[in-house]
Amino acid sequence: MVFNRSLLAKAALGPAAGAVLMAFMASGAIPAYQMYSVGLAAVYTVVVLSVGLLAGWSGIWSVGHPAFFAIGAYVAAYGSGHDWPLEAVVLGAVAIGAVLGAFLGYAGARFSVLYIALLTLAFTMVTLELVNRWSSVTGGDQGVPVVQLRSALGLGTVLGGGAEAQYLAVGAAAVVLALAVPAAASGLRMRLVAAKSHPLAARTIGIAPEAQSSLSFAVSAACTCLAGVLLGLLTGFVSPDPFSLSFGISLIAACVLGGVGSILGAVAGGVYLTWNPSLSSTVGLPQPVVQGLVLICVLLFLPGGVVPFLARPARGLARRLLRRADTRPAPPAEESTAPAALRPPTDDSVLLRLEHVSVSYGGLQALEDASLTLRRNEILAVIGPNGAGKTTLLNALSGLTGNGRVSGTADFAGRPLLRTRATARRRLGIGRTFQHAEVFSELTVAENVLCTRRRITGRDRAEVARLLRSVGLAEVADRRPGELPFGLQKRLDLARAMAENPKLLVLDEPFGGLDASERALLAGHIRRLHAGGTAVVVIDHVLDDLFSVAHRVLAFDFGRTIGEGTPDTVLQDPKVRSSYLGTVDARTRPPEHTGERGMIRLHGIGHTYGGVVALRDVDLDVRQGVVFGVAGANGAGKSTLAGILHGSLTAAHGVRETGAGVRTSLAPEGRALFKTLSLRENLEVAAYAGGVTGARLRERLEETVEWLPVRLRDRMSAPAGGLSGGEQQMLAIARALIVAPDVLIVDEPALGLAPALVDEVYDRLAALARDGLTVVLLEQLLSRAMSVCHEVAVLHEGVVAAHGRPGDPAFAAQAEAAYFGGGPEAGPNAAAAARASRVN
Amino acid sequence: MSQFLLVLVSGLASGAVYGLMGLGLVIIYRATDVVNFAMASLATLGLYVAVSLHDHGVATVLGILAAVAITVAAGLLVRETVIRPLGQGQLFSALVVTMGVSLIAESTAGSIWGDQPKSFPSLVDGTVRWSGAALPVQSLVTIGVAAVAMTLVGYLFARTTLGSAMRAVAESADTARVVGLSAQRLARISWALGLGLAALAACLYAPRAGLVPTALVAPLFRAFAGIFLGGLTSMYGAVLGGLTIGVLDNLAANYVSASFRDTFVFTFTVLVLLIRPQGMFGTRTFQRV
Repeated sequence: MVFNRSLLAKAALGPAAGAVLMAFMASGAIPAYQMYSVGLAAVYTVVVLSVGLLAGWSGIWSVGHPAFFAIGAYVAAYGSGHDWPLEAVVLGAVAIGAVLGAFLGYAGARFSVLYIALLTLAFTMVTLELVNRWSSVTGGDQGVPVVQLRSALGLGTVLGGGAEAQYLAVGAAAVVLALAVPAAASGLRMRLVAAKSHPLAARTIGIAPEAQSSLSFAVSAACTCLAGVLLGLLTGFVSPDPFSLSFGISLIAACVLGGVGSILGAVAGGVYLTWNPSLSSTVGLPQPVVQGLVLICVLLFLPGGVVPFLARPARGLARRLLRRADTRPAPPAEESTAPAALRPPTDDSVLLRLEHVSVSYGGLQALEDASLTLRRNEILAVIGPNGAGKTTLLNALSGLTGNGRVSGTADFAGRPLLRTRATARRRLGIGRTFQHAEVFSELTVAENVLCTRRRITGRDRAEVARLLRSVGLAEVADRRPGELPFGLQKRLDLARAMAENPKLLVLDEPFGGLDASERALLAGHIRRLHAGGTAVVVIDHVLDDLFSVAHRVLAFDFGRTIGEGTPDTVLQDPKVRSSYLGTVDARTRPPEHTGERGMIRLHGIGHTYGGVVALRDVDLDVRQGVVFGVAGANGAGKSTLAGILHGSLTAAHGVRETGAGVRTSLAPEGRALFKTLSLRENLEVAAYAGGVTGARLRERLEETVEWLPVRLRDRMSAPAGGLSGGEQQMLAIARALIVAPDVLIVDEPALGLAPALVDEVYDRLAALARDGLTVVLLEQLLSRAMSVCHEVAVLHEGVVAAHGRPGDPAFAAQAEAAYFGGGPEAGPNAAAAARASRVN
Repeated sequence: MSQFLLVLVSGLASGAVYGLMGLGLVIIYRATDVVNFAMASLATLGLYVAVSLHDHGVATVLGILAAVAITVAAGLLVRETVIRPLGQGQLFSALVVTMGVSLIAESTAGSIWGDQPKSFPSLVDGTVRWSGAALPVQSLVTIGVAAVAMTLVGYLFARTTLGSAMRAVAESADTARVVGLSAQRLARISWALGLGLAALAACLYAPRAGLVPTALVAPLFRAFAGIFLGGLTSMYGAVLGGLTIGVLDNLAANYVSASFRDTFVFTFTVLVLLIRPQGMFGTRTFQRV
């Protein structure tokens, strides 16, 4: 932890305010009848802080804190009755709270938010029942007095209900606040928040969520027990009344009102709790009604809480003033943009060896018998179509296989890897990034990287600042990732993986969703990392960029290795090539009887997801009776286009027109069946959604069932989850057909299917087209699209890169070039030539 | 033996009430991701209306129907005014908002009808003798009515297109959107159904316990314990969990200690969950990156 001047000043605010308050109390400026309320507000502040920081930092909402509060108070009463010294009472209460809290936190880490609520609710119910029934100690309904507690260190005696107790409460609250401030700036808080906002990503940087929540619950419970002791002293009498479950709800209300996770908010919450009764009598409503209204209004209108709401403009103002004062030029970015050439590996010793590694989920074999070796300082690219098992391979490397069954052996730097916990793999020297940049949304950019450290020193901060500068994030170091475009979030993900200089970096689709200049920048980073001695395993679908940073390429399909080679040779392997392009026997294309009637027309369509461009300027015209193919690699924007053609997704830009009365229907990617519903119910629900009911529904249902293959007709009452992939696809198409559409849109029907089933699905689609149905087919394999469609548009990175008719011989070459490189001039051969000069 | 039979029947009657409430909670939770803490206090409002009607000489059955109608109307009002504006997927905010609603509803009931306990009319009085035990008819009626209600709910979900659509939304809201199901309409139907079941459960529970503004807090917590035991998203789990809790509760009160019923029930629930976090019928979810 670094104590800089502003942090010390902030930490001193609590004690300073406490001292001022005590001075007021001593001078008599606060009327005697309010003295008790001031003490109570101090006690409540500690409780609200405990609940609020636990919720804000660890994401644990506890309704168990009334119980801890009660435990503290009754320990004070018991101690007072048995002449325990004050210190023993405080230590005893804190120890009980810490032990019980650690247990609840550990048990709760296995559960979701709701289960923790039940767990802590049960804890409160049990504790309150014990308090009520165990009258020999607690006095039952009658309560017990807290007469006095004498300090063993000779610091005097605190009388229950006396003025010393009020001073003690204010002093203790000041100390707790003073400790909370540096904690908020510490690595501890960052690790807690990291574990809360993304437990999985947290594991990859060595943070174990269970340990974190256990620790934070223990501290929170201990503080609440301390507050309970203070409450006992303050009131001089302990009875079960103040510790009801509605007090638990009030505590949550106070936290939400002040601002969850805000220290100043906790003070506001404590004050609110103390004076809520007076507030209610002022407005003339019952106290619970006021509380309920406050709770609802805050959640509806100020979900962040009052203090953060007020603090934001204040902070903005401060930042503007400071910026004006700070006229030093920003340090120049250290981005050496000159693309360093990729050097061959310098070290021949083996860093990582996988032998026969398989991963299965239930009956699904996600990875089958994968073997590979990686030398130190080598970059290995893994390619393969969707569902080939690439991400599963990376998850096996970083230990995120969840409840999948992993078999085989893996050896990393001489140690067995597969038995090592995910949290320990960071220490072994494995860092990883995620396809969707899984960054910690509630930490700033700098904190996202800093939280990889357990204790943060000044040197760490400087190092992280240098790292951020090297990836071009220095300017935004104090912002939250959510405010940044996707490209910068991906850089942050990379920076977090690079911190602590791992021996092996595992990159999951690092190029996906980036534009050309960002991709070039990223390729530069990877080459520089390699020059620094790091080995890299990288998967991606953007082959050009991937190959420009790879020494060796491994191709996967159906969970197993199908080929290996250098970037220049791997695509010449017929097996690898066909896994992408497909090998399709000449299929009979359905006869074309295209009418002139326009069914769907798109004009200038563009779409983005959170700053990532999915589609740009797409013009399409689907005419009646056509089989229209849209071919493109994974991530080219096909599913977005399918949704827009269907009408269920509204494009951000551009116009969609349909012919009069044209009904569209979509069989979405991945089938999207309701797996717990039976086959018949799946069809019924779709008809119901399309407004088909009653006799018409029964009629359509019968016709649609007739369309299904016989082996499905016999199983109409079985759950759809039990069907094989091909059968599910058939049912998904049937479901789209039940509303009698004019245009059927089918998104990647062949995904994950064995070749024979693909043929069956395509034969049935062709039959539908022969009967005059207009079909739009979105397809990953270019050759398959070319073989069945009358008209094909090739989508590359959200743009229609080629558009023509498969019958046209010139179109075939043009389409293939567009599929891989976005245009005829950037085809695979040109790219390979460019690469050859770079690699060697 | 006759004592045991009595305890068992009384446990099943309590369990039927917890099961009905739990069923209502699960139906609402599955359809809208809201854990409806306000369910019990809204049903209390319904109960007070029924008691007032009864005091004016209206038949008990009509009073119960009125209670169900009032509860459903209040619940729909709450959903449209304070839950829907929160937006989708606000699990915690929605829970806390329903807590706020529950505070307001209980306090309002208290200020209109007073905090003094009122008696709630039984549907039937008297006992029947069976193998040496005098079983209260009301308990048997409770079990019977709950069984009929549960069967009807089962029929709705298993046999009708509407029920299939509700199960579809519960399985995947995203897929439901792709297929074109109207999520809002189904959400309203789920809320109405859930609150109706809660009101029915309340009417069966109230004759034994008497009516105060917080009368239904205890059965609500037991219904919670039941649905967590059952697996949170499983309707069978809610019913079986509720029955388990009801029987255990009565067994513990009679054979262990009447003073430590909550301790027994909740310790049992937590211990079961520590061994099997997903509950008896829940499924484990796995997050994929």
